[in-house]
Amino acid sequence: MSEHPPSMNSRERVLAALNRQPVDRTPLCNPTSVATVELMDLVDAPFPDANRKPELMARLAATGYTELGFDTIMPVFSIIQESAALGCKIQWEQKDNWPTVRMNEPIWTSPDDINVPADLCTHPDTRCVTDAIKILRKEYGDEVAVIGKTMGPWSLGYHCFGVEPFLLMSLDDPGKTKLCLDRMKEITVEYGLAQIEAGADALTLPDHATGDLVSGEYYERYLRDLHIEMAERLPVPIILHICGRTVDRMEYIAQTGMAAFHFDSKNTPMESMEIVKERIALVGNINNPETLFSKGPEVVREEVYRNLDAGVQLVGPECAIPLQTSIENLKEIPRAVRDWHAAYDR
Amino acid sequence: MALTRDIGTRIELVPMDSHCNDITVALYKQTPSDAPVYRIHTYSQHPDAQERIGSLAADMQVLGGIQQADDGLLRFPCGHAHQYAARRLFLDACKRDPSEAAQAHPLQIHDKKSACDIAVDSLGDGQYCVRAEQGTQGVERRTATIARGLIRLGEMEGADDDANRLHFVCGHAHDALIALLLRRAPNVRAAMREAEEMASRGQLVAPSAQN
Repeated sequence: MSEHPPSMNSRERVLAALNRQPVDRTPLCNPTSVATVELMDLVDAPFPDANRKPELMARLAATGYTELGFDTIMPVFSIIQESAALGCKIQWEQKDNWPTVRMNEPIWTSPDDINVPADLCTHPDTRCVTDAIKILRKEYGDEVAVIGKTMGPWSLGYHCFGVEPFLLMSLDDPGKTKLCLDRMKEITVEYGLAQIEAGADALTLPDHATGDLVSGEYYERYLRDLHIEMAERLPVPIILHICGRTVDRMEYIAQTGMAAFHFDSKNTPMESMEIVKERIALVGNINNPETLFSKGPEVVREEVYRNLDAGVQLVGPECAIPLQTSIENLKEIPRAVRDWHAAYDR
Repeated sequence: MALTRDIGTRIELVPMDSHCNDITVALYKQTPSDAPVYRIHTYSQHPDAQERIGSLAADMQVLGGIQQADDGLLRFPCGHAHQYAARRLFLDACKRDPSEAAQAHPLQIHDKKSACDIAVDSLGDGQYCVRAEQGTQGVERRTATIARGLIRLGEMEGADDDANRLHFVCGHAHDALIALLLRRAPNVRAAMREAEEMASRGQLVAPSAQN
């Protein structure tokens, strides 16, 4: 931040930070979702329709930029779009809750079941995203970064095989698991490329090898090389997202060549920055349930400052925010970033 | 240009108002120099939304004795916030069937557990006493439980020497509010659980915790 490049627009700022280049201020980035029930009302784009109709999806997503002051627009609120296209059963829920994959009703049991359907990217629920990205690109041109999302093979494994069967398979038969991951990665790449073609500036790649379910060693064994391949095959900055305590795998994550890692508040900004050592940008890591949802703006501000003090390159919530999060707390994030820079850059 | 405004601190939210097209309604608290005030707000542009906001404000006045000023903001006549009670009042106003006119509750309930009518006497200066209208067995424990429930729901203070006596720190009577809270006081845990369940909707659950 010491070089102070001339004033940038939001898109330039985000892309520079993802490439670890100088920025005029730390960008505000939401790689997952900042949709809330109040914002749904504001633009008349409630869940679940905002996950299924591109105009509503784009309208709701844009509020992250127009109302909250983030430098990014992320229209893929949920994690179910491609799983819906693959044939998973989806519980669409109502306005006040997240659509979810019914993982207790898996659709695959072996590598031979894995089938990338011809309509993967033209199915209504995947096409909704690409159409929304096109709408946003047309509406906002190059002023703001539009981020897409393509689920990684480990997450798809949970969705399509079920969490427990997939984890058991990884214990019992590593070869079979690797074959499954290898086949499912094509889904990740194909859907990612479709979003890039639609105009996405960057992609979030959630791959839920989370701290509560798998170890860092697992990440290294099953996912590091796959993620290296993703970074090579998807020609935009990739933001890897893994929830939970992940310091035991950050060294491996830093080796992937991905642009950024979206990290959870269970990892302190300082310890995380020390591990990744400028090899990958960090995005995060304002706590959702305890801070953004339950506390007030002053605590939000403290967490923003903690990230900025540690040198975290892009600031935002740690994961998709609770749908009842207050607008006041969300607006405090950009306010705090600007105030910190006003003091720091003097 | 942003459409959202700084309207204070949101203290309660009903994400889907089943009585008005599932719009989201919220209670915001503002703290001007004189006394805390409340605003009921929705961002919805639905044609019925503003009428619903008006009806909720009217119901809160009837059910809880809160007053509405010319600026449309709500405040308790004593000038104190009584924030916890205001949240409860808002939630109950949202919950009730708006097709029936709101009516202030009496300072009395029938308590199923003790099979007894329980009344609250207003003693003036914000002081109240919970008493049983019949002398059934174990009813003393119930009146004390209900008094504790009121203390919790209304952020009141109890008396050191009498488990049935309680008072508002503002020193003013709030009979309508006490009558409203009295309906919840016998089972505070259920009221809290209900509020927590509503608040927990819309929080992402880790894959390991999903069905």
